[in-house]
Amino acid sequence: MRKSVERGLIIILAGIVLGTVGNLASPRGISFITPPKQIPKAEEYLSLEKAKSFWESGTSVFLDAREPEDYKAGHIGNALNLPVMAFEKHFGEVAPMLTPESKIVVYCDRTECELSHQLASQLKQTGYTNIHMLFNGWTAWREAGLPTAQGSTP
Amino acid sequence: MKLPLFLRDTSLNWILRILVGGAFIVAGVLKIASPDKFAGDISNYRLLPHILINLVAILLPWVEVVAGFVVIIGPWVRAGAVVILAMTVMFFTVITSALARGLNIECGCFGTVGGKHIGLVNLAIDSTLLCLSALLVRRSKD
Repeated sequence: MRKSVERGLIIILAGIVLGTVGNLASPRGISFITPPKQIPKAEEYLSLEKAKSFWESGTSVFLDAREPEDYKAGHIGNALNLPVMAFEKHFGEVAPMLTPESKIVVYCDRTECELSHQLASQLKQTGYTNIHMLFNGWTAWREAGLPTAQGSTP
Repeated sequence: MKLPLFLRDTSLNWILRILVGGAFIVAGVLKIASPDKFAGDISNYRLLPHILINLVAILLPWVEVVAGFVVIIGPWVRAGAVVILAMTVMFFTVITSALARGLNIECGCFGTVGGKHIGLVNLAIDSTLLCLSALLVRRSKD
């Protein structure tokens, strides 16, 4: 068995060498190092103050783009969970609360989080137009001492 | 422990080699044809550090293809089967993790075989390949 494992490592090495050469030679080759994620420009985001005023007015729907366990651990008060990685699965639960004209605020967490950006794109493709993204959503909201909630429901 | 007689038949070895090796060659070639698409599929699993995604998307399919060819052509059939077995175990873990997290993503396994989104079919295909490659490891000589 030990011999097979050693030969297996040679097979893996051969794959690595061929992969490297193949990628360099192929017109479809891609960069070996993944390019940095494209972070949306700052002006595409909603400021925390504006988000707060939207929330207080009660006229907007806040959508949490993170996974259900993150949402359960803590989320913006009254926000609904629409995990972007399971958009089709969960959209039906959220859709009755939305109209095409609804003012929607999407958020995730941390400055490098792109889930809200992906969710905004998905919603735009679905026909919603009035979409705003909250930069560093959950952390910024929580650290500002604004209303939060825990659990699986808003 | 001795394998049952029908599992010791040498023609079964050939069937196993073609099934397991062929599946990995097909899977690898599909990914090599569009590395950017495969990189996107890997990224959707959200398991690897961002910087490593392209590297894995470039190299993994070639390891699949080389191991697949070795299993079919030889001479290191057992070694090739060990590599494939290790990959099926890894894929099993990754698919299970995605299903447990409720991710509605593409599998990135065999194109769109088993449906556009990841599901139990993908897990069943991987489990089958896992069992077949384990049997091939068991039946082959060093």
